[in-house]
Amino acid sequence: VSVLEYVANGLVFSSIIVLASIGLSLVYSIANFANFAHGDTMTVGAYASLVVFGLVGGLGGSVLGLPYGFFVALVVGIVVAAVVAVVTQKLVYEPLDIGSIGLLITSIGVAFVYRALIQLGFGADTEEYGIQVLRPIEALLPYGIRMTLHEVAIIVSAAILVAGLHALLQYTDLGRKMRAMADNPDLARVSGIRTDRVRLWTWVIGAGLAGAGGGFLGLYSQLSPRMGFNILLVVFAAVILGGIGSVYGAMLGGLLIGMIDQMTPLLGDVGIPIGTEYSYAIAFVIMVAVLLVRPNGIAGEAGS
Amino acid sequence: VSVGERGSGVLSGLTPTERGVVGFIGLLSLLLIYGLVTGGLGPTYFLYLLGLVGMYVLLSFGLNAQWGYTGLINFSVAAFFGIGAYGTALLSADNSPIAGGISPVVGLIVGLVVAAAVAVVIGIPTLRLRTDYLAIASLGLAEVIRILVLNQRAYTNGSAGLRGIPSFFEGWPVLGTFPEVMPTLVVERLVFTIPGLVEFELFGFTLGQGFWQALLNVTLIAVLVAVTYLFLRRVHTSPWGRVLRTIRADEDLAEALGKNTYSFKMQSFVLGSVVMALAGVFYAHLNLFVSPGDFEPINTFYVWIAVILGGSGSNRGAMFGGFVVIAIREGTRFLGDLLPASLPVAMPDALSLVESTYATVVGNFASTRLLAVGLLIILVMRFRPEGVLPPQRELIWPGATDEPVGSAEPGGRSVSADGGERDE
Repeated sequence: VSVLEYVANGLVFSSIIVLASIGLSLVYSIANFANFAHGDTMTVGAYASLVVFGLVGGLGGSVLGLPYGFFVALVVGIVVAAVVAVVTQKLVYEPLDIGSIGLLITSIGVAFVYRALIQLGFGADTEEYGIQVLRPIEALLPYGIRMTLHEVAIIVSAAILVAGLHALLQYTDLGRKMRAMADNPDLARVSGIRTDRVRLWTWVIGAGLAGAGGGFLGLYSQLSPRMGFNILLVVFAAVILGGIGSVYGAMLGGLLIGMIDQMTPLLGDVGIPIGTEYSYAIAFVIMVAVLLVRPNGIAGEAGS
Repeated sequence: VSVGERGSGVLSGLTPTERGVVGFIGLLSLLLIYGLVTGGLGPTYFLYLLGLVGMYVLLSFGLNAQWGYTGLINFSVAAFFGIGAYGTALLSADNSPIAGGISPVVGLIVGLVVAAAVAVVIGIPTLRLRTDYLAIASLGLAEVIRILVLNQRAYTNGSAGLRGIPSFFEGWPVLGTFPEVMPTLVVERLVFTIPGLVEFELFGFTLGQGFWQALLNVTLIAVLVAVTYLFLRRVHTSPWGRVLRTIRADEDLAEALGKNTYSFKMQSFVLGSVVMALAGVFYAHLNLFVSPGDFEPINTFYVWIAVILGGSGSNRGAMFGGFVVIAIREGTRFLGDLLPASLPVAMPDALSLVESTYATVVGNFASTRLLAVGLLIILVMRFRPEGVLPPQRELIWPGATDEPVGSAEPGGRSVSADGGERDE
């Protein structure tokens, strides 16, 4: 297995982590708490896609090896994740008056409720979309890269979503308001920004991206009620590595953590006896090391 | 405090919630006694449950020392619990790959020392940072420890776990053989019949070696809980405890007063972790089997529920919370066995959804329990973030309670450790 193969795998996994970590970072900076329900929001998106794909699976032709129906299902998954997050914000988080630590603890309760409901509805076993597994792309095989069209689809879709978010943040009114709020909520408020509305949009965008990440994670491996919670800590590692609250830092952190995760087999190749079962553990250890050396992350502002 | 007050027998001296809690415990006790008397609940199993309650109380004490006193969000409770359990099990279990047959007392010491060392290692990078970083990092490191235990089969037996752990008192002069030498008592089943009306059965169980062993375990955990409670109460009311409460309320203030808050936080973190490991040591010798499943994050959040429901910073609350957690854990299991798998009454077609939902909820009690845990966390944070029994008189020296207690209790109402940074 060549190094290029690991890089290719890393890009695929990174795409999923980047989508999830952007959402987590956005919510962190604007709703101002570490949302432990973010991973389970991914699960919600993945299962919503699963249901819809079951209904419209055979729709039309296909692009990048995926039927059109999958993209319809993905969009519905994004919408469902966003709606669930907004309802949660309205029902659970908004009435609370307990500070960011209280919100953090509450979000664990929310995570359990999401997961329990999914388990009740779908059972605790793993599920699959049931899309036929493709052979690796012939043209890349001479370079030692085994990559399917599905994996290319994940990378491309994630890139489109990230580019869209970048455009939204930089060139739209909502994006400017969001950046202002992340910078200084009080100043944003006195400048006449309706912070409640911006906060709702943040939930929509953050949870929507998480829903997309969940859908791709289900395509990349499998769906299970614990999939989101299992990956949550890796996503947190990416967010901390990038610097909490920085969207572009989260992108960079997600890319790095995803890469490092998939590079773990290299350790074995060079003779360090650490197997792939430790790939998540390595991500956590890196996270702690970053906290020790540079607590504000790569892109985080100094002082906190 | 509560013991002293209840000893003086003044129910009117309690606040309404305290009366409610006493009522709840009374009701629960009645239910349990009913189960015992009618033979529905075996005495040995009852004592096992009581041991588990004590274990959760101990875990809650540990978390209280960190979160309740100092405001440290520790999401690695299960890790320290597991370190305690594996620490003693690896030394004493029959199938331990590295040792075995060593006295549990040595295991106790080793478990606590290892837990303290790990607490220092986790604390160094995280305790200087904002408290939400500690939450994330501690959960991450707890996962690292779980993955290590699961995969280092040469040292831990991996997912097979450790079996054949002796009871805690094995090899002790009198207590070691206590369960064997005690006589087996047989309580005959009694059948009462009131002709034409009812017929009911009472008792009907055997108190054998298992029962005496369970009794011994309950005594052990009672002693551990009592000693820990008294110790924590003493340190909490000391100047050291006052500094911790100041850190929780306003860390900058504590810094400004010249306190090395990092050092105080570390001491509090290590103290709490050692108490959690103590609960783990007890668990290993109660359950006689440990496995990597004991490190699962859900175990951490059971303890969190016990603490926030009982009242952060309140050890009386922690005791109450321990009872509630066992009531949830065992109650859902009990209900799952008790309730019929489908609704006993036929539903009209329009309500078939109700019927299928009922069947799903009753049929999947692991998921239902998770749902109950999640809802409970949300509801407590929404309606009573200070908990059911917030610390009140606990924070005052026993001799000083003659004066009326004002409402301006330090740490009474505040759950947020960062002074409410939330923007609106």
